[in-house]
Amino acid sequence: MVDGVLATIIKSFVLVNVLMAFFAFMTWVERKLIGRFQVRYGPNRVGPFGLLQPIADLGKMLQKENMVPEGSRVKLYMVAPLIAMTCAIGAFGLMPFGGVATIPFVDYQFHLYIADTGVSLLVVAAIGSLGFYGLMIGGWASGSKYALLGGMRAIAQLVSYEVAFTLAVIGVIIQAGSLSFVAISDAQVPLWFIIPQFLGFLVFFVAAVAESNRPPFDLVEADGEVVAGYHTEYGGMRYAMFAAAEFINAITLSALGAVLFLGGPNGPFLPGPLWMLIKIGAFLFVLIWIRATLPRVRFDQLMKIGWKVLLPAATLNLLLTAVAVVYL
Amino acid sequence: MGIVVFFLAAFLAIVSALAVVSQKNPFVSALGLLGNLVSLATLMLLLEAQFVAAAQVIVYAGAIMVMFLFVIAYVGPRGEIGPGTRKPWQVVLAVVAGLLVLIQIVLVVWTTDFGKPASVDEAFGGPGAVGQAFVTDYLLAFEGVSVILFMAAVAGVILGAGPRPKRLTTDQVMAKEGEAEARRRAASRAAIEAAREAEPGEVR
Repeated sequence: MVDGVLATIIKSFVLVNVLMAFFAFMTWVERKLIGRFQVRYGPNRVGPFGLLQPIADLGKMLQKENMVPEGSRVKLYMVAPLIAMTCAIGAFGLMPFGGVATIPFVDYQFHLYIADTGVSLLVVAAIGSLGFYGLMIGGWASGSKYALLGGMRAIAQLVSYEVAFTLAVIGVIIQAGSLSFVAISDAQVPLWFIIPQFLGFLVFFVAAVAESNRPPFDLVEADGEVVAGYHTEYGGMRYAMFAAAEFINAITLSALGAVLFLGGPNGPFLPGPLWMLIKIGAFLFVLIWIRATLPRVRFDQLMKIGWKVLLPAATLNLLLTAVAVVYL
Repeated sequence: MGIVVFFLAAFLAIVSALAVVSQKNPFVSALGLLGNLVSLATLMLLLEAQFVAAAQVIVYAGAIMVMFLFVIAYVGPRGEIGPGTRKPWQVVLAVVAGLLVLIQIVLVVWTTDFGKPASVDEAFGGPGAVGQAFVTDYLLAFEGVSVILFMAAVAGVILGAGPRPKRLTTDQVMAKEGEAEARRRAASRAAIEAAREAEPGEVR
């Protein structure tokens, strides 16, 4: 089931670095695409096509003054971005990228996932919900009203959408009969779950956008109402960690969508990791597209969508799936 | 490897449990409880109880503690409880309860035979095994708990909502506003009359 300790450490190291590079690249893609959606160029000064923009941004963030606001709880204030970042990366670590791969010449075989447990999906959900503590603690420890309100909004949003999110995912679990990502991907070999679970997929997608705090559900940092929300008082690298955690959460949820509904790393001709990359990229493109297109919802609309639309839809989907699996 | 993780998690569990009762700020106490729950989940993982560990983190750490923190942050600091505010019977009760738990732990540890570790099969602790236990051997307890939780949820809604405001039709609302308007006018007329009587020359 799992490779040796050393192999796991090497794989984790590679995965974290690939993830961070992918994240940096995706911030460039996002800015470039939003530029195009708004009929402008986007970043094009640093390096060819502005490709070195993320590195320039990182340099800027690192040089900024390391300040702590007065009236904050210093230790918690410092540790909050770390919690958000750790949980974001940790949740991604369980994603499968294929079956068994062999290193040529030495004939060493290893799995293209770090771990495949019988409860992978639950572990991702658990780590993901722990990540919200970073936002809450950051908002509370800043000692600022706007930050606190942003943190509270994050919690209210999480609690409202996690219910529908989980119910939507349970449909997939019932059909695959497992919580393991490898088993779920393999259960979709002839037919991706997006087709029988289309209602579940819609609920999953909307809830995932809300859970990753992406527009149009980014009320947590609505600048007209709560300045910048939970990270109002953060600057420099700590702010960058919050921003990175948010984007990596979006990547993780895209990967989760790819595994649960688009067949995961399975696909013809291309190797597993490449298929995962294509599917994650497709999800992220839609997320960016939505961000460039839709205005932000109001908070009461957010709650209404979560409780009055998504929850009944997810319950209906669950019921239909259960009946179909038992009687068909 | 397992031993190192065990002692680390056990140490964190004790430290965070102490933080829960020793911290003066309720927010920090709640964070201590959160740390305790996560440490306990790690210990459960070491015992092959994967499903219970994940469920503990999702349900308690991910949902219940979040609501605790939400309420604490929402209500705000209520002033710290200083020394001397405890009642004597509370102290006595706390000591007695603590001693009882201690005696229970000592008894259990004393009478347990730590021979060889239990052998479990592959499926143990997985979602399948737990689900099977829920709907076969422990069905009555499972359903009982669900009824209790449902009652708690309904009670929470009723208590939280408070007395229900009466719904008025549009006509009633308008009539009410009309009455209020008439009262306001009567009041202002009375005020003018009073002013006239007090200083007849000033008000025409």
